[in-house]
Amino acid sequence: MAMPLAIHSEPAFVASLAASDLSSYVPVMILITMAITFGIINVFGSLVIGPRRDGPTKSAAYESGMNAVGTARKRFNVRFYLIAMVFLVFDIEIIFLYPWAVTFPNLAQGTNESLIWLARILFFVFTTVIAYVYGVRKGVFKFD
Amino acid sequence: MESMLTLLWPEIALFITTCVVMILGQSKFKDTRDLCPGLAAIGLIVSGFLAWYFRGVTSDAVLPHLPYYGKLVICGVGLMLLMLVAGSADRELEADAAKGKPFEPIRSTRGEFYSFVLFSLTGLMLCTSANDLILLFLALELTSLPTYVMVSISTNRNRSMEAGVKYFFLGALGAAIFLYGFAMIYGGTGTTNFEDISRTVAAQAAGGGINPLVILGVVLSLVGLGFKIASVPMHFYTPDVYQGSSSSVAGFLAFVPKAAGFFAILSICGLVGWSHGVTEQSLPEGPRVLLWVVAALTMTLGNVLAIMQRSVKRILAYSSIAHSGYMLVGVIAGPGPSGADFERNGIAAVLFYLVSYGVMTIGAFAVLACLEKKRSDGSLDEVDDIDDLRGLARTRPVLGWTMVLSSMGLLGLPPLLGFLGKLPLFTAGIGAKEIILVLVLGINSAIAAYYYLRLAYTCFIESPETTPNAPKVVEAPFAARRWAGVISMLCVVGLAVFGSWLGNLAEIGATYRPPKYVQPAAAVVPVSAPTP
Repeated sequence: MAMPLAIHSEPAFVASLAASDLSSYVPVMILITMAITFGIINVFGSLVIGPRRDGPTKSAAYESGMNAVGTARKRFNVRFYLIAMVFLVFDIEIIFLYPWAVTFPNLAQGTNESLIWLARILFFVFTTVIAYVYGVRKGVFKFD
Repeated sequence: MESMLTLLWPEIALFITTCVVMILGQSKFKDTRDLCPGLAAIGLIVSGFLAWYFRGVTSDAVLPHLPYYGKLVICGVGLMLLMLVAGSADRELEADAAKGKPFEPIRSTRGEFYSFVLFSLTGLMLCTSANDLILLFLALELTSLPTYVMVSISTNRNRSMEAGVKYFFLGALGAAIFLYGFAMIYGGTGTTNFEDISRTVAAQAAGGGINPLVILGVVLSLVGLGFKIASVPMHFYTPDVYQGSSSSVAGFLAFVPKAAGFFAILSICGLVGWSHGVTEQSLPEGPRVLLWVVAALTMTLGNVLAIMQRSVKRILAYSSIAHSGYMLVGVIAGPGPSGADFERNGIAAVLFYLVSYGVMTIGAFAVLACLEKKRSDGSLDEVDDIDDLRGLARTRPVLGWTMVLSSMGLLGLPPLLGFLGKLPLFTAGIGAKEIILVLVLGINSAIAAYYYLRLAYTCFIESPETTPNAPKVVEAPFAARRWAGVISMLCVVGLAVFGSWLGNLAEIGATYRPPKYVQPAAAVVPVSAPTP
């Protein structure tokens, strides 16, 4: 039983692989190197040239300029979570609708292709409507 | 494009049913809520009809008739699964509502439960018709994501939460691994379309050798998909998750993710094709060796560990692992020489065995789902210990005989369905000259006899429990589950006798169209990583 790697022992093949495959990853490598360098330079830069002024006010927690009124480990009303879920539904819908709307006018109107595109997005909107109706029936919008 | 849409009609029908079921489950009126399972069944039947109606439409992958067979089978077995999970959700809530309390939609899980079943089956259908790596990944996720939730909400005990979390995290790990493999395949061929990939791979194989990235990608995909079918390096979750979820959901898990995994494995293996090796009828050496080792380990470990269990659900979980190993033999054997009959066609054997395993295991889980233990304080618990089944054939003949026939079928006793399913796996393995693997398969079938016979013996020969303090075993008030068991029992006997049509169907489903060999040099694009 030959081992898997034995298939590729021809030197010509290995050479062509090295030439064609790895070279196209060079941009990725450069990007990774840049990202790491950028991070290191920033950390060390602020360590070396950054001013250090400490005090009780500086280390106090605040949010958007407001002083903190209590601990963050508090119970939230579960309703916020539900609202966030419903928000996500519409958020995602917009993300998909926008590029569709930009592309759609470029298709020849009334052709089979444009009709299929229209049907696709209508189907997608249908799923969103279902999600919305589901939320309503589940009682997400009941603020009693 | 349009033919792809025609191919997807069954999925679309099922998806629309899913949406309607999800909304109906939140209704204020009990009569409307009770429509959910019936509507789900109608959706499945309609989508099965659509699959049959569009049988002429083929996918452009190397297994062009897989969608047709897959969807028909999914609709059939799906109906049984629907019966099996009937009544799983909302038992306490419905009892409260019957006493006059207002129905609280926010606490209800019934609509979700049935729509998750349908979502999962939709994903399973998409797995068969996927012709693109991205579509295949989405289909696999659509199959799995609902099952994670179904495990968690199947009982209101902490155990099923634990099982759900375990299942979710390990499932995410598996998905990450096979997604990495898909990325490698893309890197080695420069396309995500199945047809283009298999052509490129054929061109590579003809000229020098397949790109190692493709081999690595296929190997990683197979390992990751091993999670779905519960094969050896990824099998650890199976017993815990099956034990933690309710019996009916465990039955669902035994068929649906496994079927998704095998459809995906067949598609992925089809990308490199069964046209390599000395005979030019096997997989490339790397995936073949991997599958060989995994298959041998999976069946042995599954069967040996099943012997040591006392919990019926754990026994069935290890049996599920072992059966994955059996089916991998068919994947290794491949479709054989072109025009090979059913006995030599490993893919047809896998497709047939998948159905017969599903039918038999649903029977076993249906028996467990039909029974529950009543403690002295009146609380109900699931039947799990093998002692709870003592003398079942005498006290409750229908359930007892279902269990006996299911376990005999899973064992592969000659007149039953399991034998008819296992035989082609043997012959296909021998035809592919995998004699050692077939020997392992034979030895394992003998090991498996120990625990399957123990299951049958407990139900059939031992006398019913007489200890006074033991919790009393009562029947759960779900007629549909009992029907799932009865249908499974009828199929185990009936399909063995009148099952040739299913065999023919599996043979159609396994039609293998090897990628076309190319071509003058100008037509072959030299393979490199995709340009950005």
